[in-house]
Amino acid sequence: MTAPRTTLALLLFAPLAFFAAFFLAPMAVVALSSLTTDEGGPTFAHYARILFDQYHWDVLWVTFRIALATTALCLLIGFPLAWYLVRIVRWRSWRRACVILIVVPLFTSNIVRSFGWMVLLGRTGLVNQGLMGMGLTERPIRFLGTETGILIGMVYILMPFVVLSVGNALAKIDTALEDASADLGVGPARTFWFVTLPLCLPGAVSGAIMVFALAVSAYVTPALLSGGQITVFSMLIFQQYSSVFDFHYGGALSVTLLVLTLILVTLAGRIGERGRRAA
Amino acid sequence: MIARLLIRIVALAALAYLVLPLVVIIGASLTETSYLAFPPQGLTLKWFGVLFDDPSYVSAFITSTLLALAATGVAVLLAVPASLALARYVFAGRAAVSSLLMSPLVLPYVVLGAALLQFGNDFGLARSFEALLVGHVVIVMPFVLRSVLPLLTPEQRALEEASADLGGRPLTTFFLVVLPQIRGGIVSGALLAFISSWINVELSIFNTTSALNTIPVKMFNYVQYTIDPTIAAVSAITIVAAALVIILLDLLIGLDMLSERQQP
Repeated sequence: MTAPRTTLALLLFAPLAFFAAFFLAPMAVVALSSLTTDEGGPTFAHYARILFDQYHWDVLWVTFRIALATTALCLLIGFPLAWYLVRIVRWRSWRRACVILIVVPLFTSNIVRSFGWMVLLGRTGLVNQGLMGMGLTERPIRFLGTETGILIGMVYILMPFVVLSVGNALAKIDTALEDASADLGVGPARTFWFVTLPLCLPGAVSGAIMVFALAVSAYVTPALLSGGQITVFSMLIFQQYSSVFDFHYGGALSVTLLVLTLILVTLAGRIGERGRRAA
Repeated sequence: MIARLLIRIVALAALAYLVLPLVVIIGASLTETSYLAFPPQGLTLKWFGVLFDDPSYVSAFITSTLLALAATGVAVLLAVPASLALARYVFAGRAAVSSLLMSPLVLPYVVLGAALLQFGNDFGLARSFEALLVGHVVIVMPFVLRSVLPLLTPEQRALEEASADLGGRPLTTFFLVVLPQIRGGIVSGALLAFISSWINVELSIFNTTSALNTIPVKMFNYVQYTIDPTIAAVSAITIVAAALVIILLDLLIGLDMLSERQQP
């Protein structure tokens, strides 16, 4: 028998070495270059350029507005769908088919899914044809190149995460708790609000965090559905690395996005934790 | 009852919303017109033929597949020992190690992609298959970790100790006792890893070139300028492939994670 310490070192050596070399080191290079000039001297100029420029704040605001709206809509649509699948559907095969339908989009590239919406949301696309056919609008509505268009695509792409994590939480709730609440004379709405909802809150929060983190850093969907009209933060980063080649400034942008994402994810985690404890 | 009806309507609308784009793409790939049309006008498979005659698509397809296979393989080799360490040992910095290895799940891929390009530039690694591979390993490893870890339970541990008590050497115990028990987790984690690598754009786009391209990046660059039935055909192939993988997964391990509730 080898000593536990040796075994532990053997088990962890390769994964940690790999992450140090190809994850921490590249990130450190980016962080370092964001703080240096071309000559290698230390500087805060790249961050000052981001902090004191209204344009960056505008882009950040658009990015976070889209991410927040995406998260809210995903919860708003995803929650009823999860509820339907867990509580209303009685026929197991249909539920199974629905789960497959929800997972298939997750297994298809963002490109493919955004492309589908590019086709659907175009001037002569099915959505506009449908709206005009129903007499809801006279002229085709412009979706591509608007925040609405981006939102439709983002919610579409990220909703399965919410459905799966809320559904999982709902499926694990012991319905005896709700029965007990009903037996004590509490109405269904109050039972939902004080018993069921707190119990599935952790699932909803973890789904929402995932959606939010992915939405803030999304690149493909906004790039395809914005038609060059709307800029989100990840596009700024991509520009710097692919066409401007300013690695210092690009690095500062990357670090900014990274730090903001981490702060928000941690915050949301805290809120979820508090909800769990209250429950 | 009204609430129930409302939930039903929202849910069915949401399902339709999830399926619609996929149906439209598959439909549009069958059109006979040289522009994209849905509903398709006439039915033909010629756009799939165009695709297979284009060597750049074929080579991108091969790159994507090799990349996803290699990244998944390396990720499994790294994630299995890591999850054993995390599940079996209490050590200083355990929480830090676990969050480090899981962090690619919430980090912006664009940032990591940019970082690997810049880092690779300094070492002559940029824009190569290896540069793509290391990035993909980093982002897919959490999926394997996440599906293996929950299987390393105390009950599973007891069997492992029984094997050791009976004189099984550590490696023998691992291959004959532990591995069969966590195989399901490895398979489902590996499939998730493979898929996430196969569909990635944000990370790959920094290190691909016109000669070394993956399918999603190639599609991304193409679709920004032209929309035609060929791109619908590539998309349709990936959708059908994804659907097949999922049905396979469902038959293998059962995807219906929403039916756990005890029926009264």
